[in-house]
Amino acid sequence: MRILVVGGGTGGTIVANNLARRLSAEIRARKVRITMLSASDKHMYQPGLLYVAFGQMTPDQLYRDQASLLEGCIDFHVDPVEKFDLDQNKVTTKSGKVHEYDILVIATGSRIVPEQIPGLAEGAETFYSEASAVKMFKRLREIEEGTVAVVVGVPHKCPIAPVELIFGLHDYFKARGIRDKIKIKYHYPIGRIHTIKEVAIWAKPEFDRMGIEYETLFNVSEVDVENKVVRSEEGTETQYDMLIAIPPHRGMEVIEQNNLGEGGWIPTDRFKLTMNGHDNVYVLGDTTNLPVSKTGSAAHFEAEVVSENIASIVKIGVPVRDYDGKVYCFIETGHDSATYAMFNYQNPPDLKSPSKPMHWFKMAYNQMYWTSVRGLL
Amino acid sequence: MNTQTEKPFESMSTEDLQRLVEVAQLVTAARDAMSDEIVTRMAGALSEGLTLLDRLTRNEGLMHLLKVLDRQDTQYLLIALSDAVHAASQEIPAAPPATGGLGCMMRVVRDPGTQEGIRLLSVVGKHLSHSLREQHRRGG
Repeated sequence: MRILVVGGGTGGTIVANNLARRLSAEIRARKVRITMLSASDKHMYQPGLLYVAFGQMTPDQLYRDQASLLEGCIDFHVDPVEKFDLDQNKVTTKSGKVHEYDILVIATGSRIVPEQIPGLAEGAETFYSEASAVKMFKRLREIEEGTVAVVVGVPHKCPIAPVELIFGLHDYFKARGIRDKIKIKYHYPIGRIHTIKEVAIWAKPEFDRMGIEYETLFNVSEVDVENKVVRSEEGTETQYDMLIAIPPHRGMEVIEQNNLGEGGWIPTDRFKLTMNGHDNVYVLGDTTNLPVSKTGSAAHFEAEVVSENIASIVKIGVPVRDYDGKVYCFIETGHDSATYAMFNYQNPPDLKSPSKPMHWFKMAYNQMYWTSVRGLL
Repeated sequence: MNTQTEKPFESMSTEDLQRLVEVAQLVTAARDAMSDEIVTRMAGALSEGLTLLDRLTRNEGLMHLLKVLDRQDTQYLLIALSDAVHAASQEIPAAPPATGGLGCMMRVVRDPGTQEGIRLLSVVGKHLSHSLREQHRRGG
């Protein structure tokens, strides 16, 4: 049995490592082979970028060598896939090599596309890459007064990020003693301050307490970089001194180029996590078109289901579990408190009061992540 | 509401309440003493420790070695080996340089301690070779 994992992010790495553990006897007996194809030899802890943007972490703390995170029996290649030939059960990589498979796992992730909104890439700070997070931190250090505007693209990674950003900004300026000189204005594309109703209900009084101005139904149409104005499709505009964007994102180009799914999102069975029409192709993480958060947490829980099912297919011929839509998101509510949101397809989140121990739990998780992707937690 | 929450405390003695206060003070003190850096370092160490433990416990060779080391006679051998390494590290720097030649070789070989050592190595070599052949035959 040849199992091919395409993508070395959170989901792909957990699936590969879990499979290597579950199928160790079959791998030793040479009945199973696991191959991973990735675009990079480095693995980045993406949630850490928000900490970099506030000077709480440095970029070097976010990386590990991908090979060091993988079980020794996984055949790992830095050679991204360029062509998917699903009917022939094979893929072709950038180097021209062809990999055949019996089971394929696609976990290629997503990419931010600020260029979709005129002026956004040039005029707004973001924290979705090492360079942009460092640049945003430098800008935050420079600003002494004025309006910091936060805008949110659609769709975007990690739904909790806009709220965490606001809490972080409030605490950052408070710590610098200039909170009273900075106006923080939050713009959100739908008719309430967060897409998850329970988070919106919980966050509104918190925003009021912190003195955050907010405007809902604000879908960014353009950024006038020269005049420092951000405009909405609804016809409103905000003058800013510093603009921070949660940019829109799409699935990876290779998915679109191979016509695997509109917008780069692959149509996926919400319970089985198989690609619609291809029972031997599993999809997870940001790559799916599922109505769950595009977060490492979702990728993690999906990866556990996928690996358990693939292992059981190898051992007994049938899958054993369904994905229930579980997502567990930490919510940093400033620099020294946090809470969390846990939800699935059936149950909405029930947010608890923020606390310092939860913040430490998140701090600890930032380190435990590496144990998690190794398939241990 | 008040009655329900107060009831458990009403039945407690002053000593029990004092102990509860002490526990609460301990928790508060630990909480105040903690910082993001401490949590990060502890979690980092725990994370690496877990990974190491996982690697060690899934290492077949190491597990077998531990099993063998549980035997008293193997432990004696290990103690002897440690003593030998220690003694050799003391002796070698003080020993005069070898003069070379057959005569020197003969003097070394005539030493009963050296002969015992060579015999031990040859016995280990014989069993090592046997074990490797056996593992190869079983397919690893």
